[in-house]
Amino acid sequence: MCATLAARFRDGDEVCNGMASFIPVAAIMLARLTHAPGLVWLAGAAGVDPRPERVPASTLEAPLWRDSVMYLEQYGDFWHYAQSGRHLQVFCVGAAQLDMYGNANNSVIGDDYHRPRVRLPGTAGLGDMGSLGKRLFFWNPNHNPRSFVERVDFRSAAGYLGGGDERERLGLAGGPEVVVTNLAVLDFHPDSKRMRLVSVHPGVTVEQVQEATGFELLLPQGAVPETPAPTPEQVRLLREVIDPDGMCKREAGVTR
Amino acid sequence: MSAARVLSIEEAAGLVADGDVVALQNMATQAAPMAMVRELIRQEKRGLGLVVLVGGIAVDWLAAAGVIDRLIGAAVSMEQFGLCQQYRKAVEAGRVRVEELSETALNARLGAGARNLPFLPTRGLIGTDLIDLNENLTLFQDPFGGETLVACKALVPDVALVHAHRADPQGNVQYEPTILWPDVGIMPKAAKRVIVTAEEIVDSEVLRRNPDRTVLPGFAVDAVVEVPYGAHPTSFYPLYGYDARFHAEWTKVARDDEQAAAFLDRYVRGPATQADYLQAVGGAATLMEVRRI
Repeated sequence: MCATLAARFRDGDEVCNGMASFIPVAAIMLARLTHAPGLVWLAGAAGVDPRPERVPASTLEAPLWRDSVMYLEQYGDFWHYAQSGRHLQVFCVGAAQLDMYGNANNSVIGDDYHRPRVRLPGTAGLGDMGSLGKRLFFWNPNHNPRSFVERVDFRSAAGYLGGGDERERLGLAGGPEVVVTNLAVLDFHPDSKRMRLVSVHPGVTVEQVQEATGFELLLPQGAVPETPAPTPEQVRLLREVIDPDGMCKREAGVTR
Repeated sequence: MSAARVLSIEEAAGLVADGDVVALQNMATQAAPMAMVRELIRQEKRGLGLVVLVGGIAVDWLAAAGVIDRLIGAAVSMEQFGLCQQYRKAVEAGRVRVEELSETALNARLGAGARNLPFLPTRGLIGTDLIDLNENLTLFQDPFGGETLVACKALVPDVALVHAHRADPQGNVQYEPTILWPDVGIMPKAAKRVIVTAEEIVDSEVLRRNPDRTVLPGFAVDAVVEVPYGAHPTSFYPLYGYDARFHAEWTKVARDDEQAAAFLDRYVRGPATQADYLQAVGGAATLMEVRRI
């Protein structure tokens, strides 16, 4: 997952990370060490160009950003740059539910917002990032039908709304671009905006991905390609340099 | 605005009235004025509306103790320690009512409150379900260009609670170089009253050596209280990190109302002073541990 996400970052992109974002942080660190040394990183949306030793136990706390070239004031600095439309064009999104049109829910499960079945953490910056023209990269290390739903219980972040050109008509630029899970890589059809299978990870079948998804996935024409496996060097960097404590595995619930 | 006074924690908490809208500094496991939070619980405050950016263990304790009945914020989470289970339960049972805002919307509401404006706009939240739910947010047309934006009604909290590195007796408040969250940047400017707990209260001459580190001026602060380790168990960079063990201990009991109450009795209601509290949470060994960031 880390290598696949890393490949999406380009030199010159500007990214930030939020809390509990171990896989995106590892992907950012990997990209900066390999093909995108010029990837601009605002760690925890607070420290500019940090040099953490490794992925720490929290992706919001000081060990991630203490060694930075600038400490941001989040209201006056970070959010000005994030809202200007000229910076921070990429954002990695993790949410409890994602639907077939890339709308995300991190607010409530249930029909009644004020008496929910489950009160989730809340939208935080997601509610902004979905509406500020950002290119959104979703990650989910636990691809399952309760997370990938036909329609989210509640829209905390705007994806392609009801599909088609609805997002465009609302005047929103950018939008969901890719979804990286423990099973597959997915994107969104350019016209219908429906979530579409791009590739399955080595050892995973199309059927497994479909079973883990709560709606019908669009399939590519012809055979579904296999996600390129990380190179031995990428694996070495991730295991020995970037994430020797295995924070990404912990996030993914991998125990062995 | 009256000149700042140096108060005890009991007196300072006495400035918070039942029903007040209280803006609380907090970013998950970072920087919350936890000694004040404990004192609010000890004084059995009721009906508080909490304003937070990302609330952590403070929100869970306040919900468990029945202190808050409203929350205006962007999120509540203890990051790697998971959801705030007591808060969650309280919301699901209808005991705490939530006004959920994105970060720019919260900043806009507070920014308007700070500047005596009726509202400030944002582009955030367009296309989400959060606008219709909320009478403090409304879509409107830009009067110059016509595009649709979200107007965020001014929010003026009754009191803002902040923890800082040092203050002087006149209420000037300093921060060591670190990242700054909006709860220091804008919350105190929007609120009617500002109460600051500080790791140390020192002579003004100390602050005058580095006036660039003064983040709040004494004329806009109502009370300062000296509370070493006043943010424990949250982190307070660069002095100390978060207490992982203590957060984990809370998560073990948080789902069970009786065990949660017993935890609060032991660590919040029991210790009469900050020194007693620090002793209860592990004393010197704990302090030495959290200083290792």
